[in-house]
Parts: sequence; C-alpha cells; structure tokens
Amino acid sequence: MLRPTKMTRVVIAGTKDLMEPVISTFHNLNLLHITDYSEESETFKIGKPLKPASKMSEYLLSLRAISNQLGIKGEESKSTSKSRELKSRMDEKISTLQKEVSSRFDEMRNLEFKIKEKEDIVISIKPFFGLPLSLESYSGYGSVKVFTGYIDTDLEQQLLKITNKYELFTGEHEKRKIFALFIPIAFGDEVQKLLQDERSYSELKVPLLKGNPPIVLDGLSKEISALKQKYAETKAELQNIKNEYSEFIIAADEYLSIETMKAEAPLKFATSPNAFIIDGWVPSLKYDEMEKALQKNTGGLVHLAKIEEKANEEDIPVELENPLMAKPFELLIDTFATPKYGEIDPAAILFITFPLFYGIMLGDVGYGIIVTAMAYFIKNKFKTGGLNSLALILLLSGILSTFFGFIFGEFFGFPIFNMVVHGEMEHGLLGIAGPAIAGIHIPIHRFGEVQSLLLLTFAIGIMHIMLGLILGFRNQLIEHGLKHAILAKGSWMMILMGGVLAIAKLMPAVTSKLPVPTGDPVFIVGSLLAIVGLILLIAGEGFISILEIPTILSNVLSYSRILAIGLSSAGIALVVNTLSMDLFIRPHGILMGGGIVLALVGVLILFIGHLINLLLGILGPGLHSLRLQYVEFFTKFYEGGGKKYVPFGYKRKYTEE
Amino acid sequence: MVVADAGMIAIGAGIAVGLCGIGAAMGEQAIGAAAVGAMAEDEKFFGKGLLMTVIPESIAIFGLVVALILLFVFNV
Repeated sequence: MLRPTKMTRVVIAGTKDLMEPVISTFHNLNLLHITDYSEESETFKIGKPLKPASKMSEYLLSLRAISNQLGIKGEESKSTSKSRELKSRMDEKISTLQKEVSSRFDEMRNLEFKIKEKEDIVISIKPFFGLPLSLESYSGYGSVKVFTGYIDTDLEQQLLKITNKYELFTGEHEKRKIFALFIPIAFGDEVQKLLQDERSYSELKVPLLKGNPPIVLDGLSKEISALKQKYAETKAELQNIKNEYSEFIIAADEYLSIETMKAEAPLKFATSPNAFIIDGWVPSLKYDEMEKALQKNTGGLVHLAKIEEKANEEDIPVELENPLMAKPFELLIDTFATPKYGEIDPAAILFITFPLFYGIMLGDVGYGIIVTAMAYFIKNKFKTGGLNSLALILLLSGILSTFFGFIFGEFFGFPIFNMVVHGEMEHGLLGIAGPAIAGIHIPIHRFGEVQSLLLLTFAIGIMHIMLGLILGFRNQLIEHGLKHAILAKGSWMMILMGGVLAIAKLMPAVTSKLPVPTGDPVFIVGSLLAIVGLILLIAGEGFISILEIPTILSNVLSYSRILAIGLSSAGIALVVNTLSMDLFIRPHGILMGGGIVLALVGVLILFIGHLINLLLGILGPGLHSLRLQYVEFFTKFYEGGGKKYVPFGYKRKYTEE
Repeated sequence: MVVADAGMIAIGAGIAVGLCGIGAAMGEQAIGAAAVGAMAEDEKFFGKGLLMTVIPESIAIFGLVVALILLFVFNV
C-alpha cells in the first residue's frame, strides 16, 4: 500500500545449451521483468530466436487464418488441453484443418458468387414477361438490329418518320411501358439517336438465354434454391468443424503464442558464441522462489546474482501493490501516469477520497441506489479488465451517494424527512422528522445550508491539498533531501496554513466593515507563517514563483464544486418534481385534478427529467471528483513516468504444461 | 457592510454565473474540438479527452461561488 512493490535486480548467466530450460522456467514463473539488452559489443550480441520460432509463427499464422474463417476469434473454451498432446498432433491437425476449412470456405465464396450471378439474371429477365417473345429471338440476326427498353412516349409515330420497315412489340412491366423494336441494320444509327434524345427511354439488356421468360425463370429459381441448399450444407459442415475443433484451435492458439514468445525471448538477452546473460527485475519477496525453481530445472548449472548497486529510478519496473478493495483505483492512477519506483502510489488514498467526493456531489438516495445497482450489474458482467475496475469504483461511489442522500434527506429530489422551509412545515416522503445523530439534525438540507456547506468544502479542499503537500514533502525528502523538501513543499504548506488562518480572521472583519484585526494573535501568527513561507518559496524557486501564489487560492476554491455540482443536480431534480407534480399530476393540490392525460404527461416529464439528471449525475460527479484528484491533488506530489512491470510469462487459460 | 438592494445583489449574482459560464464554454469548445480530433486518431483518448474537457468548468464554478457568496454572505 502507498508504495510500489519492492524490486530486486538480478542477472542470470549460463551456457547456451541451458537457454531453453531457463526460458521455460521463467515463462512458467511469470515473475521476471527482462530488461532488453541493447548495447551490442564485440563479445556480446543480441540473441537470435530459437530454432522453432519461424515454424511456430507459421503455424500460428495458419491457425489464426482458420479461426478467422470459422469465426472463432474471441470465443472462450471451457476445457484445458495438455501441451504435449497439442504439440504431437499440431502438424497433422493444422494441415487437415487447413484442407477441410479452406476448401469449404472457398466453395462457400464460390457459391455466393454464383447465387448472386443467377439472382442478377432473374432481375434482368423479369421485364421481358411483358413481351410475347422467347429470349433467343432477341439476338443472333445479321441484318436486323434490336432495341429493347422502357419508354413512356409513343414510339411508332416517330419511327414512321424514319422508315416503315420495322417490327415493334410493346407491353408493360410494373406499370412502365416496355418495347422491343426490330429494324433493318441500315436504320440502326438513326433510331439509336432518336432513342437517345428521348428522355423517358432507358435501355434493357436481354440476357443471353433461350426459352420463354417464365420457363427460364422457373429453371433459374430451381438452380438458385439448389445452390442455396448447397451453401447451407457447406455452412453446416463448417459449423460442425468449428464445433469439433474450436477447443483445439483456442488451446493451440495459446500454446503457439506461448511457444513463439519463448522462442523469441533471446532477442532480449546478451549472448556470446557459447553463453547468455539475462538482466532483469523480480519482486524482492519472490527472489528465493525464482532461484529455487531455476536451480532445480537446470541442475544448479546457471549462475544467479543479485545486483545491489543503486539503479537509475526510471529503469526499475513498477508494480502497484494495494489491498483488494483499493485495487480498482490503480486504473485511475494508470490513466494519469504510472508512478516512478520511489514515488508514493496514491491508489489507497483515492479509494477514500474519490467515492467520498462523488457521494457528496450526487448525494441522493434514489440516484445512489440506481448507480449502485448499475455498477453491480456491470461488475458481474465483466469479470476482469478496465470495465470491472470502473464498475467497482462506481459501486463504492454509489453506496456513498446513498449514504449522503440520507444525510441530505433527498430521494429523487423529494425530501425524505419533514422540514421547516421559510417557516412552513414541508412534509417528507416518510412523514417523520429526521433523526439527530451525534447532535446533528438530519436532514442537512443542501439549499438551506449553502453557506456552511461551502465552508465545509473549503475545509475538505484545504485538508486534501495539505495531504498532497505532505506526500510531496516526503517525495522531495527521499529524492533531493530535507533542504529542498522544505523550500519546495514546506513553503507551500506554510503559505496555505498561514493564509487560511489569516483569511479566516480577516473575512468576517471585512464583511462587517470592522478594522483589520491586527491585534488578534491568530491573525498575526497566520500572516507571519504565510510571509515566512513566501520567503522560503522565493529562496527555493525564485521571484517568478510569486505568480503561482494565486493557484493555491484557486485550488482551494475549486473544491466548492463538491457543493456546486450537488446543488445543480438537486436543483434539476427539484425543478422536474415541482413541474410535474404541481402542474400536471397534482394541480392545485388535487391528485389528477387536471384529468388522466395531464397526469400521464406529468409522469412522462418526471421520468425523462430524472433520466437526464441521472445520466448527468453519473458523468458530472465522476469527472469532477477525478479532476479534483488529478489537478488539485496530484500536482502537489505526483510526477509519474515509471515503467510498468511486465513479467516474462503468460497466465495459461486453456493449456497445461 | 450596509445591506445593498436585494435586487441588485441578485443581478450581480446572475452576471457572475452567466459571464463565467460563457468563459468556461469558450475554453471548453477549444479543448473539446481538440479532444474529438485526438479521439479520431486514437479511441483510447476518450477518457483523458473527457477529463480535459471539464477542466475549464472550474471557471463556471468560481462564478457560482461568487454568486453564492453574494447571495448568502452579503445579503444578510
């Protein structure tokens, strides 16, 4: 918690014949973060991939092509297979699969193409139903030219101007006039021109087939349905293959990925003609486990050494370490930047502050319950990954929203408890007065207590920023020593503390037009503290740092959003409720006083209004709570820029050693 | 401080919120456009882009704070 996992640098050296068992051991352990070897020298070169690498990648390529064709990608398998079995039958199975699958896949493409072709012909035949000719009579003439198409005007009259030697057939297809014109080839060009000038003309191509259109169509339909059946059969066969082999394909994919990864591992090593050296990092607590496993698998023939010498901080891989509950918040840390090895990892602090800010902002029992339920649903749907973390964060936030909703006495913007507003008693949903817990009367109504809640948010902000400065002080102390820590962070703490004390005494005096309270010891101490802080700051960072003084003020003021976002959300809810209740559902205090239709409109307004407010209520508090962490809190101590710990290895899901 | 005309205080509060809203919107439109551009390049930028976009919202909140102080502190 608060610190990344402690790492130990380790160097492993051995002869090349041991490289394979060493790689295997490390891969199974999934512990060693290998540092890439990059400075080639006379003796040590970057290693070459192991022999099976190219073969394995070839297999992997064909396998992935097959799984694409079968549509297996992204599917899960329930069983696991033994690596040895997979290996022994890999060649045979992949080649059979390739044959079976790709031939069928090609056939399906082929069939699809044929079906499309025939269907196109069907479409082009249909218009000729309107003409009393069989298809072969439209072509095959030496001295006669044939025109076919749609036309709206009377063609015959215009034709007579050119010649009277012609044969014209007309008919109708889908309410459009269709014609076929047979004319001596000598008049061909003239008629062509005539048709081109005719706007309603569009040409129809006659398919090169024989027979009466209806009979041809009948034949074609039969062919198409036969092809379709064949297509379905092939598809079913592929489905069978998929059912039979999907487990194998998923397992083999994993096996091959692992083998390829292993075979390519030497690319990270330094190798001489006969030896290899691996340089890497391992969590300190796991060092012994790793050493034992390595010596056992190589008969004690490799040399292992811990390197104690101080390493460059940026080179040490960072693995965040947090209790289970705070784990999801690492997502928010990683989104910002991975911390450096020596830095504080603030996930555990976010675990408290993020849901707290969110809860105060949303602060409504109804919305809180919906957010919680939604988060619970997402959490169960996505068991791993970023969405799962996000759902867990939202779950905590939702629970706290419900809690603060109880304190503020709000349920979808309706008051839960009885309250006195402007001297009048307003009845809450429960119809009772709120309880008093530890001397505080619940509900603390947000609209009624703006002033004190505003002060509370400033207090939260001052504490949060102070915590950030304390963490920053600690980081500076570790990295640059005490003097630097006092100048860079201590000065800010003094300015913040002193400023708060001085302003707390100054403000009431200013608002009530009293003289500046120079005699007040708190004011004097505060002012002095702030001035000393300012001097230290200038000593540390130069005069330019004066320009940064207002940022601390704006940082503190920024926390007022905790109240502001809540007020706007509660305001919208209030507007929706008042509008729908007083105007539509219960006008003049009589339920359904304006009729059922008006009441239904009211219910609709109520529903849509709260839906929109809920969406805003999830987005707004989430983003603003996160912003307070990133912009106001992190800037006080967090640098980031660490390298993530990525151990060499793989978590097997579908295969066993 | 002498209690000023309540109407004038309300108008002042309104101006504070309104102008700050316009200011925040101007900031957000530029960042929003850039964030959408970045997202077109790489969809993973969504989270960061969304966060960047709400950063100028502080200005609107400062306006609200000023308005609240006007309404509740000076309007005694």
